Amino acid sequence: MRFAKVFVALAATTMMLIGCASQKEPAEKAVAQIESSVAEFRADAEKYAADELKSVDESITKLKNSLASKDYSMVVKAAPSLASTVASLKQTVAAKKADADAMIAAATAEWGEISAKVPQMVEAIQSRVDTLGKSRKLPSGLDKATFDTVKTDFESMKTEWTDAAAQFASGQADAAVRKAREIKAKGEMILAKLGMAPAA
Amino acid sequence: MATENPYAQYHVVKKGDTLSKIAEEYYGDKMLYPKIFEANKDVLEDPNKIKPGQKLRIP
Repeated sequence: MRFAKVFVALAATTMMLIGCASQKEPAEKAVAQIESSVAEFRADAEKYAADELKSVDESITKLKNSLASKDYSMVVKAAPSLASTVASLKQTVAAKKADADAMIAAATAEWGEISAKVPQMVEAIQSRVDTLGKSRKLPSGLDKATFDTVKTDFESMKTEWTDAAAQFASGQADAAVRKAREIKAKGEMILAKLGMAPAA
Repeated sequence: MATENPYAQYHVVKKGDTLSKIAEEYYGDKMLYPKIFEANKDVLEDPNKIKPGQKLRIP
């Protein structure tokens, strides 16, 4: 009877060890696959979904800790859910990247249009301001106070344009375009104050 | 060939116009007429000879 009990205990332990060993490979493979999947889009995820990536990384760390403590069944059980989360994050990152790319393309196109117009605007205003600066009397509709304001606004317009161009060159297309729109509006206001109706 | 500046201002010469009168209208000072003449040398040979209908750029 005693022998039987020992035999059963040994058999159970052996079965458990065999069971654990048989789950080791699938567990390691599952973790490796998850890590490999995340590595494929990690750079974009850091840019477009940093918080979600952090959460996934924490889950991977937990899984690896379970792997280290040889809790293979837990790893095998938890891996599918995490793999599904990773797949979902991959889709989210791809969608956010596509949105960002589209926004940059639109901003770049708008920058192209505005950056063609503003220098022409600056040239026209500069010429008129220089000429009026030599005039003994200002034309009707333009008093000295308005002309002084125009000169101040024009100088700030030129400085802002330099800043916007630098911003665009540094890759901040969206911010540069927002600034460029304001500069163009300021230029149109200056043209109006100078009595220079746009040809269009 | 340089593209035309869309923000440049133009004046279509009317009967009785002179460059001095145009300069006074746009600059407030008739003595600045040479500015207009210089900007329109491609169409004007003499600052005293402008014709109605001519389109002059006002720099």
